[in-house]
Amino acid sequence: MSRRVTRLLTSLVPGVAAALLAAPLPAAEHPIVLVIHGGAGVIERSRMTAEREASYRAGLAAALDAGYAVLERGGAALDAVGAAVRTMEDDPQFNAGRGAVLNHDGLCELDAAIMDGSGPRAGAVAELHHVKNPVELARLVMDKSPHVLLVGPGAEEFALEQGVTLVPESYFITPQRVRELEEEKRAAASRAPTAPLPIRPQAPRGMGTVGAVALDVQGHLAAATSTGGITNKLYGRVGDTPIIGAGTYASESCAVSGTGQGEFYIRQVVAYDICAMMQYQHLSLAKAVETMMHDKLQRSGGEGGVIALDRDGNYAMDFNSAGMHRGVRDSRGHREIAMYRDAN
Amino acid sequence: MYAIAIHGGAGAVPRATLSPEREQRYRAGLEAALEGGYAVLERGGSSLDAVTAAVCILEDDPSFNAGRGAALTREGAAELDAAIMDGCRQRAGAVASVRHVKNPVELARRVMEKSRHVLLVGGGAEEFALEEGFALVPNLYFRTPERQSQLEHEQRGERVSDLVPPAHGTVGAVARDRDGNLAAATSTGGMTNKRPGRVGDSPIIGAGTYAKNGVCAVSATGHGEYFIRAVAAHHVCAAVEYRGLSLELAMRELLHDILRGLGGDGGLIGVDRDGRIVMDFSTEGMYRGARDSTGRSEIAIYQSQDSTKITP
Repeated sequence: MSRRVTRLLTSLVPGVAAALLAAPLPAAEHPIVLVIHGGAGVIERSRMTAEREASYRAGLAAALDAGYAVLERGGAALDAVGAAVRTMEDDPQFNAGRGAVLNHDGLCELDAAIMDGSGPRAGAVAELHHVKNPVELARLVMDKSPHVLLVGPGAEEFALEQGVTLVPESYFITPQRVRELEEEKRAAASRAPTAPLPIRPQAPRGMGTVGAVALDVQGHLAAATSTGGITNKLYGRVGDTPIIGAGTYASESCAVSGTGQGEFYIRQVVAYDICAMMQYQHLSLAKAVETMMHDKLQRSGGEGGVIALDRDGNYAMDFNSAGMHRGVRDSRGHREIAMYRDAN
Repeated sequence: MYAIAIHGGAGAVPRATLSPEREQRYRAGLEAALEGGYAVLERGGSSLDAVTAAVCILEDDPSFNAGRGAALTREGAAELDAAIMDGCRQRAGAVASVRHVKNPVELARRVMEKSRHVLLVGGGAEEFALEEGFALVPNLYFRTPERQSQLEHEQRGERVSDLVPPAHGTVGAVARDRDGNLAAATSTGGMTNKRPGRVGDSPIIGAGTYAKNGVCAVSATGHGEYFIRAVAAHHVCAAVEYRGLSLELAMRELLHDILRGLGGDGGLIGVDRDGRIVMDFSTEGMYRGARDSTGRSEIAIYQSQDSTKITP
């Protein structure tokens, strides 16, 4: 609502205006928007049971609404992406926090990043074994340390210094992920050691990385991503998620979170390159994302998806895999949750 | 046309605090690395081999903050990061927080060539090193008396003079070979008194290291956190590729406008598709060297007219 309309309303019908103003409406120039993803991969109807599908949709809806609630009450994009990602970290269906996939040694190793487009400020963590909500520790790295990226025991030492309670490794491990690791290890025996690890089959088994991008009432953008990586990954392997510019990036004009085969995302600097194409080649958000996913990444052999958002509230949820768990909600009344190729 | 440039860190290097003997040592170290890398190009070797050779020499030289003689963490240990990128196939390898690998850049290269991954960190990276037949060395190998006293000074909160290379003293190399292939490599011990587990821009593809054939290869040194936030190395490549800026302008904009604006300083070396070398920095000095097949050959430390021609 523009200031002039507000003044007009206030002068003409004070009661109505007060009621309208009490609602946390965004400024007229742009909507508030939250976009989330819960991983990309082989997500096909034929592989999904009705119960499973309903359960994923419920998990995505919970994260979407938790993040959107922050924006709706005038909160910061940074807080909204944190809330959405935290919700998915706590949900064992998603490959982040509890229920993250297991590495070759049968353990969870968690990575996360968060970036505040106004600043820009960023925090990231990798190789965590005992932090319940990695995205929250990434936020603490950004807010409370001079650093951007902390890894391994040093990151957990920092967590303790910040008063974060550590949890045992068993907290993260679910029977489902143990089964997946066993299957993947059998399959891996026949693959070359340099062949990229498959991010399939995602459903009904493993699901990818989770992430969120948001535009708040102030017009600020933020992005956050969290993951357990890839099943059967080498101990110490870090993917694109905590790499600022690769799996996570936000500036004043663009925010991106990725999910997919991380090594390809790192080499292509996917998240930042989408923003660079917009800024320097004057591509629209949709076109920049399409160029990345279906031209550049596809040509390099990489598979996955991204969610992206610009400062006008335009968003994209695109992928070159069979499907991507995703959701969007904005103040234009749009609310959508989907997982398959056909917008469902 | 083939060309190579190297750096041995950027920072405040007040000329007065650098004794002639020390300065001579640094220049000799830079020259050895430059010649080592250039020799590879001269005999028709790849840019990837050239940057590996140059960075290995700097890692082995205790004067520079990488490999032996790396800056120490607040707990007194060396924790090393490195990355390498092949502009030809846009392959990359990187390692972070390794404590027992003599030449981290060689392990980064092995990650690129022998694993399905790009970045390995900590104990897992060392496990991979062992699987690949690397001999691990004790952490003591990396610690020099100079770095130990630097750490003690820093922990007492004293401002230290005559401590060069500065705390930001990453090493790196970029090269273009006869076939036009570009490559970049960077290696570092990070910041003195850093928190264990802190990773800077060096092993972050796109931040401290990037190479893309037909565009440019870049290696950075400086306050790593700012270089990560700015996605520095890829920013330079994007400015060249998408806006058609010269490498020189792209680097100047990044260092003197964008990073300055954020409050960070440091330096960059780069080589473009035609083999043109650019070395720029926003600090008082940057240890650097450049050599190409058209006869350019120089080693320099300070901002102005101090480069010395090498007579091979």
